[in-house]
Parts: sequence; structure tokens; C-alpha cells
Amino acid sequence: MKISSIRYLVHQGFKGIWKNRMMSFASFCIMLVSLLMVGISLLLALNINRIIGGIEDKSEVVVQIKDGCTEEQIDELKNKIGALPNVSTIEFYSKEKAWESMVKDMSDEEKELFHYADDNFLPDTFRLTVHDIKQMTQTTTQIDTIDNVESTRSPTELTDVLISIRRVLGIISGAIVVALIIVCLIIISNTTRASVFARRKEINIMKYVGAKNSFIRIPFFIEGMVVGLLAAAGALGLTMFAYDGVYSIFNDDFKLWSVLGVNNLYSFDDLFMPVTIAYAVAGALIGAVGTSFSTGKHLKV
Amino acid sequence: MVEFKDVSVTYSSGVDALNKINLKINDGDFAFVVGPSGAGKSTLIKLVLKEIDATSGEVIVNGFNLRKLRRRKVPALRRTIGVVFQDFRLIPTMTVYENVAFVLRVIDAPAKYIRSRVPYVINLVGLSSKAKSYPTELSGGEQQRVALARALVNDPQLIIADEPTGNIDPALSYEIVGLLKGINECGTTILMVTHEHDLVRYFGGRIININSGSIAFDEVIGGTNENQ
Ligand SMILES: Nc1ncnc2c1ncn2[C@@H]1O[C@H](COP(=O)(O)OP(=O)(O)OP(=O)(O)O)[C@@H](O)[C@H]1O
Ligand SMILES: [Mg+2]
Repeated sequence: MKISSIRYLVHQGFKGIWKNRMMSFASFCIMLVSLLMVGISLLLALNINRIIGGIEDKSEVVVQIKDGCTEEQIDELKNKIGALPNVSTIEFYSKEKAWESMVKDMSDEEKELFHYADDNFLPDTFRLTVHDIKQMTQTTTQIDTIDNVESTRSPTELTDVLISIRRVLGIISGAIVVALIIVCLIIISNTTRASVFARRKEINIMKYVGAKNSFIRIPFFIEGMVVGLLAAAGALGLTMFAYDGVYSIFNDDFKLWSVLGVNNLYSFDDLFMPVTIAYAVAGALIGAVGTSFSTGKHLKV
Repeated sequence: MVEFKDVSVTYSSGVDALNKINLKINDGDFAFVVGPSGAGKSTLIKLVLKEIDATSGEVIVNGFNLRKLRRRKVPALRRTIGVVFQDFRLIPTMTVYENVAFVLRVIDAPAKYIRSRVPYVINLVGLSSKAKSYPTELSGGEQQRVALARALVNDPQLIIADEPTGNIDPALSYEIVGLLKGINECGTTILMVTHEHDLVRYFGGRIININSGSIAFDEVIGGTNENQ
């Protein structure tokens, strides 16, 4: 295809946007809002996932060792548990260490009180982390059956909650994305339908003089894509603005998060490229695909 | 060249529009197609443009066998044909120049060729002074001349015209057919559907009369204008 033809087609595409400016603007707005909602829900899901992931990484299983085990027995037990496939790290925590750390955390009065305790009543323990938090319960049941294990304690209730939060979050954000993409496709295809209808005479004549379908489609394609890209640019700007606001609230004003040992939010600098690419691709693709839905049936002459 | 071999057309509504038509129009011919309303004249034109397909039989146009022609190749067929309609079908938002240039853009012609060819054909139909006007600023006869320029601009082998004079003043009809005759003398085959018997009698030539989907007669008659 010649450069002059490409210029002509691109020009026709932009002219279509202008001629059809009310509809173009409407679809721009709807796409902007939709992209924004998709973007925000995905960013939210991403950050909640990160926070939950941080909590999960810190959730430990505590394995209480039977009283009176020899050092060899403890070593043997450590190897046995460490060899379980889901166990990530395992650390021995002696009763002395446990006592020390308990005392350290006490207030002076409490220390007074405990002074009278004549013996260290704390057990020897292992603290271990797992690879897959979903299999934590299975793993602890397994450990329970091993010799010399007195009992296990794990934050199963908490992890169950976290797991279901993650799952629900995944479903909701997936549903939002799918629903909004469908809405966008319908809107864009309706806009083009109006544009195609406005130019149906022209298209009809083009068909009679031997225009290829691609030639007729390209301007509409460009029209949809440009509107999609503009909406993507708008959504990106608004997202950046909103995200920075939220980010600064969480990171500057509430040190609480880090006190709780929770991961920080992603900074937008880290997200800028993926978000930009995602918006641009989604905008252009939805715009382009939406137009091809509605041009198809007008081309049969 | 246009050739029909035992061509029948039955619309999905059940109407038999054409019935085993056999017809051959050679390169350089000028043929009028006449007949009563509903006889099947427009159906014949639609077959040539592959707007519809024959229910049976073969249609061959400018070397394309339309039965075997793929959808994708239809543009190639249509680029060898110029079409003129009764209702002009000009694009109201484009000037005369743009309406004509548009055809060449569609077929991806070089910009330089467009700049020289378009004024040439506009001059040929006598509208040079109106090149920048919009269709609504023109009379019916002038609009049809623009449509004729548009049909001509791609230098087609064949021009088909379905009642090109149907919407214009009878006096101006002679002008349009005169232009078509001139184009024909330069070697372009012309197939023109018309209801105006005076026009046919005046110009003469090959007359194909269709009645109820069949060819009633197909003869060459002398025109009255040549006797003067
Ligand atoms: N798309 C269609 N679907 C069903 N029937 C059709 C269709 N087009 C035409 N017909 C029928 O086919 C027959 C021939 O129609 P056609 O348009 O070829 O006539 P015509 O000779 O061009 O008439 P006119 O001089 O009035 O233009 C008519 O009976 C018409 O009703
Ligand atoms: Mg007709």
C-alpha cells in the first residue's frame, strides 16, 4: 500500500472521530471510566495480595518437642521434619532461648512475679515455615504423627481466612475486568456502528468501485484505536494521580504498617511501565476489536 | 466482454427473475437493455457486478468466471467496471473533484496520477468549472455527469448504467447518452438499461428486450439521428 493511501486512511480515521464527535466522546468517557475501574481494582488486588503474602510468609508452625529428648533425638527429629516436602525452613528454639525472650518482653512487676518460678516450664520447639500455605494443615497433621512430637501449633484459622480473601479477591477482580471489557467492546462497537451508518453511502460506493474490505475497515479501525488510546492515556494520568495520593497516606502517615510487619504497597514507579503497557494495549485492542464487530456486516454488498 | 450462458436467477422469495438467459456482449459494443418493469433488467446488472450469484448457468465478465470467483477477488472484477446509477449516488460531503478522486484512492492509485487524471475526466464530461462544487449545488444532469466521470476515471473495460437518465430531464438525457456514445467510441463497452424508448429510437444500436425474465428480442436497429 502506498504512503499516500496510508496517509489518506489515517486522515479518514481522524475525520471519522471528529464527524462523529459526540459518540466518540461518549465512548472515550466510558472507556476511560472502565479502564480506570479495571486498573484500580487490579492495583488494589495486587497490593492486597502483596500484604497478605507478607503476612503468610511470616506465619510459622510451632512444633513442641517431647520433654526429655536427647540432643541426638532432637537432631534426628529436625532432619525428619525438614525432609517433608512442604517445609521450607526449620529452626530449633531451645527452652532457654524461649525463656530469655519471654523475660525480656516482661515488665518489671511481671519479672518480680516470675522470679519465684523455680523452673523453666517452657518446652523445646521447632519453628518452621512452609512453602505452600494452603497445605499447612496437612503438613502439621503429618508432623503430629512423628515420634517425639508433643504437639503442633499453627495459625491455620488466620491462613484459612487469608486464603479465602485471596480467592474472593481474585474472583471479584477477574469478574470486574471481564465485565468491563465486554461493556467497552459493546460501547465501541456501537460507536463505530453509528460511524459506519453515517458513512454507509460512501461504503456502498467504495464497494462498487472495487475497494477491498481492508481498505474500508482501516479508517474505522484507526478511529476505534485512537479513541481507545486516548482513553488509556486519560486513565493512566488519573490512576497515577490517585495512586500517589493513596501511596503517600500509607507510607508517610501510617508507620503502623511496618510495625505490624506488613509489606509496603508497591510504589507507582515500579508499576508505571506495566500499567502503561496494560492500559495502552487494552485501550487499543478494545477499540480495534470493537470496531471490527460492527463493520463486518455492513461490508456485504 | 460479458457472456451469459443459460443463466437463471431465482430470488429467495421464490421469484424467478431471469430464465435461461443466453447473451453475449462483445468488447466495444454499445447495448441498450429495455423491457417492462419487473422484467429482470436490474437483476442482469447485479449479476454482472456479482452483487448476486446466478442460481444456475455461467456469467463471464471481462475474463472473470463469476461462478468461480472468490469473494476476495470481487474487488478485482469491479475495478474493470464503471457503474452509473439512476440515483447518482454521489457523496454529499465531498466536492465534485473529491467524488471522482475517491475512486482512484480506493484502488490505491499513485497521488500524481490522481492529480492529472481527475481533472481530465471532469473536463471530459464538461464540468471543469464545477470541480469545487458540492453535489447539492448541481442540477440532476450535472450530478449524473459527475457520476459518469466517476465511472470513467478508472478507465474501465465496461460501463454499466442502470437507468442513468431515469431521474433527469428528458432533454438532458440525450446529453448523457451522447457522452456514453462518445466514451464507447473510444473502445469502452457499454451496457445501459433504460425505459425511454425515444432515446433508444434516436440513438439506435443493439437493443436487448427482456420480458418476464427472458430475452424477447435482441437486434441492432438504425438510429434516427444517423438518418439526418
Ligand atoms: N432482492 C430481491 N428479492 C426478491 N425479489 C426481487 C429482488 N430484486 C428483484 N426482485 C424481483 O425480481 C423481479 C425482477 O426485478 P428487477 O429489479 O430485475 O426488475 P427490473 O427489470 O429492473 O424492473 P424496473 O424496470 O422496475 O427497475 C421482480 O419481480 C422483482 O420483484
Ligand atoms: Mg431496475
